Amino acid sequence: MRRHEAPASGPGDSQPGAPHEPLIAFVGQPNCGKSTLFNALAGFKANTGNFPGTSVAITQSRVAFAGLHARIVDLPGTYSLTPRDGAEEVTRRFLSEHRADAVIAVVDASVLSRSVELTLELLETGLPMVVALNMMDEARRKGIEVDVAALEARLGVPVVPTVATRGEGVVAVAIRAMTAAKARRPGISPVYDRDIEESLAGLQAAAPRGLADALRVPQRFLAVRLLEADPFLLKHLERDTANRDFLDLAAAQRQHLAELHGWPEESVFGSHRHAAAVDLFESVATVRSRTRRSKRERLDDVLMHPFWGLVFAALALAALFLVAFLVGDRVASLVQRPFNALGQALLPAGVTGFWADVGRGLLDGIAGGAGIVLPYLVPLLLIMSVMEDVGYLPRAAFLVDGLLHRVGLHGKSIIPLILGYGCNVPGILGTRILESPRDRVITALLVPLTACSARTVIILALVAATLGPLAALGIYLLNILVTALAARLLSAIVPGTAPGLLMDIPPYRIPPIKAVLRKVWFRVREFLVAAWPVLIVASIFLGVLTYLGVDRWVNEALRPVTVGLLGLPEAVGVTLFFGILRKELSLVMLFQALGTTDVASVLTATQLVTFTLFVTFYVPCVSTLAAQVREVGWRWTLVGVGLNTSIALGVAVIARLAMGG
Amino acid sequence: MTLADATVGKLLKVIGRNAPRHGGGETIAGLGIHVGEEVIVVRAAPFSGPILVEVPSSGVRVAMGRGMAEAVVVEPADAAA
Repeated sequence: MRRHEAPASGPGDSQPGAPHEPLIAFVGQPNCGKSTLFNALAGFKANTGNFPGTSVAITQSRVAFAGLHARIVDLPGTYSLTPRDGAEEVTRRFLSEHRADAVIAVVDASVLSRSVELTLELLETGLPMVVALNMMDEARRKGIEVDVAALEARLGVPVVPTVATRGEGVVAVAIRAMTAAKARRPGISPVYDRDIEESLAGLQAAAPRGLADALRVPQRFLAVRLLEADPFLLKHLERDTANRDFLDLAAAQRQHLAELHGWPEESVFGSHRHAAAVDLFESVATVRSRTRRSKRERLDDVLMHPFWGLVFAALALAALFLVAFLVGDRVASLVQRPFNALGQALLPAGVTGFWADVGRGLLDGIAGGAGIVLPYLVPLLLIMSVMEDVGYLPRAAFLVDGLLHRVGLHGKSIIPLILGYGCNVPGILGTRILESPRDRVITALLVPLTACSARTVIILALVAATLGPLAALGIYLLNILVTALAARLLSAIVPGTAPGLLMDIPPYRIPPIKAVLRKVWFRVREFLVAAWPVLIVASIFLGVLTYLGVDRWVNEALRPVTVGLLGLPEAVGVTLFFGILRKELSLVMLFQALGTTDVASVLTATQLVTFTLFVTFYVPCVSTLAAQVREVGWRWTLVGVGLNTSIALGVAVIARLAMGG
Repeated sequence: MTLADATVGKLLKVIGRNAPRHGGGETIAGLGIHVGEEVIVVRAAPFSGPILVEVPSSGVRVAMGRGMAEAVVVEPADAAA
């Protein structure tokens, strides 16, 4: 089946006269291909918005197939409806409060017995549902055959086999879900052992009148959540004293079941659902045993090897930056040439005056984006996206967890940190994968220390291009060392404990080119629409300041730091100041402030290194700060700003002294 | 015996769970490691890092820090038979 065969309407063009547009929620466990499926449907038009009352972003879009319209939302992946973190809580709340009109339960067919546990929970919500039996190709490779008709009969809802990465079945799922939303027929809730069913019946009978309706959930779902001791629901119900007897009964039932089965209270229900899922799996699927070791295992023998795995990780990262540098450098010089020629033709060095300064600012802003940022940014983002989608990052986290623990970090912290090398903003948003608030704070404060692509551009363009690639590599190593030291410091001052590593290792996946390109495009678009205009405006603004002579005041004010502490020319003050808007600006404005792109002719080696180090560790750009405030709050963001500034000054001054400048 | 001191490559049976020191116990079940399930420690990470646990019945693979692994009580699968 081809994708996009039916025209889908964009998010903007709502049709006033259209009938009620159903809301369809995508729910699934992490790594089940839910977002791939969602993106295959939503195409390039998806936009993200924050879930009300939280900082968790959910992606939504509008689609239309076969004359049916719907809004679709991609809810955060969750292993169960008993949430363990903010993102999972969003999924639970969305399903119980907003009452999606239908749910697409995305199931990973290659780990069907585990994946279907969430489906069983979803059935209990009573929402109309369609199961997308995803990763059918991988299941087949593993020798798992699923009897789709039997699964449909057991669940009481439509089941559509899909291969989201190739777009197979995605339109069929969407159409079935829209039909299901109209029909409003729930599936078949799982039936448990007799003792559990008796407890459920008892609770349902004892429930205060109208409670389930007030919560907008079915009676049975309410009873199930209580037997599972859903912490959020308990907290909510405890607020009303009228519920006390009911809650006491639920607690007594939990204890009774725990004693009966000899299991801890909170795992009795989960274990039964697991048993139901295994039973379901065994009745609808057959597994041919594999004899040959899979490619994945042989690849993991190397990539997850205690020694060679680390060697590979180091080489992969080095290659990443080398490729980005080689490609970026070549493209940059190609793009810069016409801009330089244009600049010289239109505004030769002798021309002065207001419009000449503004014109130079405009040209520098455009040239800075096209000739400096994009050439390095695009290859870096492309390689990063591939690494992310192939499934390499969790393996890197597995390898370095032991090392990271020595500096007080969590293995998973490596993922936001690696992403931070592309751009700090996704790095900071990526801290959500960490379970404990402590790890999130530490990692979110460390991400701004990683040299993002904008700073990589500065390192490459200033240091690699003038002092050679080895010097640039040295700055990277120093960057990693300083980040590790900062981690040690932060883990000593940030309170709280961190749970150990617990992480799914998904199989390797060959990402479809379209999905990779889409991801790169989203991030490049972010630069094009959000950052580049700022860069151009700021560059023009700087031209105006130059004309008015205001830059001299800024330079004068910053003189004690720039000249006194760092031994740099006074003219760089304004570039460091405006660099906070966007890091890319520092470079563009450095050229403008110094009046040349040949910085080596104006700055000494020591000055180049000092400037680069300061910019690398200094306060990140405003978008990173905004992301930080959203994720960890003002207080920690301010701590981070202080940390960045003191590290930047410290490292730059030490470098200056060490290099004898 | 817990998963933390299990030998790599041996088939084990999960016979109980303790609460991990720093929390996060429910997630162990969420990831597919239940009491009664058979598991194998497939490999161990360097620097006393995590272990990689496979649940052969579902093909699930989970990386688990030492603290978490200590919370999963196991015995050799043949002993249970």
